[in-house]
Amino acid sequence: MKAVKMMAVSAVLSLICTSCSSAPVITEQQQQVEISLSWWGNDSRHEYTLAGVEAFEKLHPDIRVNCSYSEWSGYESRSRVQMVSDTEADVMQINFGWLSEYSADGSGYYDLEKVSDVIDLSSYSDEMLEYGRKNGILNAVPIAMNAETVYINSSIYQKYNLAVPKHWDDFIDAARVMRKDGVYPIAGAEKSIWLFTISYAEQKTGKSFLKDDGSLNFSVNDLQIMLEFHKRMIDEKVYPQVKDFSRTCIENGTYAGAVAWVSDAVNYFKDVQQQGTVIEVAPYTTVEGMEPGEGWYAKPATMYAISRNTEHPKESAMLLDFLLNSSEMTVLQGVEKGIPLSTTARETLDRENMLQGIQYNASLCMEQNTELNQMNSFIENDSLIKKYTEACNLVVFDKATPEQAAAKLYADIKGK
Amino acid sequence: MAFEEKTNLKNMKKLKTLMMLCYAVIVAVAVLTVSVLAVRKTDQVLEKKVSTLTTALNVQMELNLNNYLHRMETIGTLAFAEEQTYTYDATDPDNDEYEATITETAIRDKLYSLCIMENFVDYGVVYRNNHRVGKISNGTVDLFGERMFQDLEAMITRPRTNDGWAAGYQDNFNRIYYVKRIHENALLVISFYTAELKSVFDNPEIMKDMSIRLTDGNYNILYSSEADELGLPLSEDLVSRVADRNSVTVLDKEYLVTVNSSNDNWFVICSVPTKIILKEKNVIQLFIYMIAAVAAILAAVIGAVLYVKLTKPIEQFVAKLDTKAHIDQLTGILNKRSFEEYTENRLNASLPIEHHALIILDLDNFKGVNDTLGHAAGDQVLANVGGILRATFSTEDYLGRIGGDEFCVFLNLHPDDGTDYKDFVISKCEALCQAFHNNYTGEDHNFKISASIGVSIFPECGEDFNTLYHSADKALYKSKKSGKDTYTIFADMTEKGEEN
Repeated sequence: MKAVKMMAVSAVLSLICTSCSSAPVITEQQQQVEISLSWWGNDSRHEYTLAGVEAFEKLHPDIRVNCSYSEWSGYESRSRVQMVSDTEADVMQINFGWLSEYSADGSGYYDLEKVSDVIDLSSYSDEMLEYGRKNGILNAVPIAMNAETVYINSSIYQKYNLAVPKHWDDFIDAARVMRKDGVYPIAGAEKSIWLFTISYAEQKTGKSFLKDDGSLNFSVNDLQIMLEFHKRMIDEKVYPQVKDFSRTCIENGTYAGAVAWVSDAVNYFKDVQQQGTVIEVAPYTTVEGMEPGEGWYAKPATMYAISRNTEHPKESAMLLDFLLNSSEMTVLQGVEKGIPLSTTARETLDRENMLQGIQYNASLCMEQNTELNQMNSFIENDSLIKKYTEACNLVVFDKATPEQAAAKLYADIKGK
Repeated sequence: MAFEEKTNLKNMKKLKTLMMLCYAVIVAVAVLTVSVLAVRKTDQVLEKKVSTLTTALNVQMELNLNNYLHRMETIGTLAFAEEQTYTYDATDPDNDEYEATITETAIRDKLYSLCIMENFVDYGVVYRNNHRVGKISNGTVDLFGERMFQDLEAMITRPRTNDGWAAGYQDNFNRIYYVKRIHENALLVISFYTAELKSVFDNPEIMKDMSIRLTDGNYNILYSSEADELGLPLSEDLVSRVADRNSVTVLDKEYLVTVNSSNDNWFVICSVPTKIILKEKNVIQLFIYMIAAVAAILAAVIGAVLYVKLTKPIEQFVAKLDTKAHIDQLTGILNKRSFEEYTENRLNASLPIEHHALIILDLDNFKGVNDTLGHAAGDQVLANVGGILRATFSTEDYLGRIGGDEFCVFLNLHPDDGTDYKDFVISKCEALCQAFHNNYTGEDHNFKISASIGVSIFPECGEDFNTLYHSADKALYKSKKSGKDTYTIFADMTEKGEEN
């Protein structure tokens, strides 16, 4: 009986203590590892990447991914600021050229082989991984290959009884019949036109623009050839001035063709194709007698890298592996960045019957061409292109002769 | 005879049980009442607290949004720090094309540097001829087409600052635009992806059930923490609660909704189904009722234990008094008053077909004991007689001392073996005489004491106590006259005509 009484008293005291306890209320919140992901691109890339990140976060609720993204314009400068101020994202979509710029000795990005137990690198050939190595250190993994490609609006060309152009003169001939209607045979954004004119100059001179060490191989005369070619293209109305380039002119038929990256094919031509217009991938333009692809460059489209300063290499590697190899991300991404280099991703797309369309055709054209050169990343240097554009403007607006402008450009490049 | 079953004690026990039941009921009702009041008060406090917290959350969200939008506006204003931005007019036909290109490059570089760390989709200048300088995305160009300047200009809604915010242009809710007039022919355009607002409306984990939405003035959803709602109209359920209200919190049976207006007549609306709040309230209610039930049971048990502890000595005292009032202290059997009372009650309740017997016995030679051995010995004899009577008769029979050495027995017990009742009574009388013989042999200093016995039988000799008593007394008298130490049954006297 005493035991029962004691138990009853204890129960009451416990209850009172529990109910009236003045102990502090402690609420545990879910702890998450926060990592960041940055990329550039268009609306569709943003949408599918955000969807992919959401899928990743569902798979790994203990990881939160903060996204930073925008269109390409200005992104390169922003990336530079982040890289030099150590504020870059944990996982980054990077440009091939940035490897040389920020990681010449291989220390600018995280060594991905340190997390090879997390990232499945077996889907990539050694040759492909070599694109991401600097000084023997694996800094980045390429997503797909890319090259400037010539796309032709066959519907417009047929209207003028013109065949798909193969040589530079074909464009000049086309301009002669199209200009009366205000139609340009081809057009391109600043960097595309820059590489377009380099292709011409390399074919004409038989020299590569850069030496193997990345220094300028062109002479003043070679640069003059580029500038004269550019002025002629503008004067002959072959392509519009870079500052006037607008993608809407592809849709309204002002541009009968475009030089653009493989990875831009869908963005450029999706709408116009939906209108029933036929877009063809033209052979890489050459001077007559040369093989298509000579003077043209291929490079990894975009790459994924991990910040050398990341505090969460494992989680960053998990995200990277998801972006590269997971079937969820592969299906979301499709061929938007080109045909994936990952064999796993390529098999998934093949299974899903997604290896088709203008972007796939452009990729095949690039893959099957044996003449394409491997791009030296310095050729994409933003400052270099800006200097070239300034020189072009001097020539186009008759503020300087091609010879004077070439000399100034040469001095500017060498002085860098 | 069960002396414990006394009427007073029975009544007292009944009263005690009733009191305990009443106490338990009062405790239960009191606890229930307090619990219900506590639950109601808790509900009110909880609802008010949740309502207040939600209001605070909503206000915080609105402040976050205003801060975010204000920061965008400030970055937009910074464009005016570059003089060329507001002095250059791309629509001027007198512009030198080369100089214009150089100027636009300078403006573009300046604008890029200003927005370099922002996730802007657009940050540039659009001129009346739709010429663009700076960061104007292909998406925006595609979206606005030839009506770019015209439609962007229509987004300016604030005359004081010549600017305005807009979303949902051409049903595209993926981008939010800020437009500010630079001069008559130029507009500064900033845009960002709606998804950027996720950081503005980031909801703490603990409030994960809360839906947070940003709507325009027509309640079209510009941002939602719920998936796939972008661009859709706000549900009628919510609109009906917040329509035409700029700052209010509504809590009813279905929803807790709070709204605050923000820049440009946009609304930040937080909502949560009331049942989700009630889910927590029900847990609290259950807890309170459980505590109340345990408290009621404990109070009843403790009260009962204390009551028993308090009343037990009183009960014992009362029982003792009751015993003293009914029992002859010397012999331990009923006193005269109690014997008569019990016997009368029993007779009153008896049917004529029943059989009872009233036996009176008077001790023979008792005076001699007192005279020769003293009163103490006499008292001892009387005490022994009580023992003899208890040993001879059953506990169902009434035993009483009705005078100094005069005793009475009322037989309740009946023979259960078919024996004639009179024979049964005779056997009892003989057993009684024999018991005296056995106890008082007269040898070895033992005084010889016997008893003269008179018996009357119910209903033959009478049906009430007085009649039976007088009959038995007459029979006793006959036994005394017959030489004592014998018994006489009044019925036999009647048969022989000796009753007088």
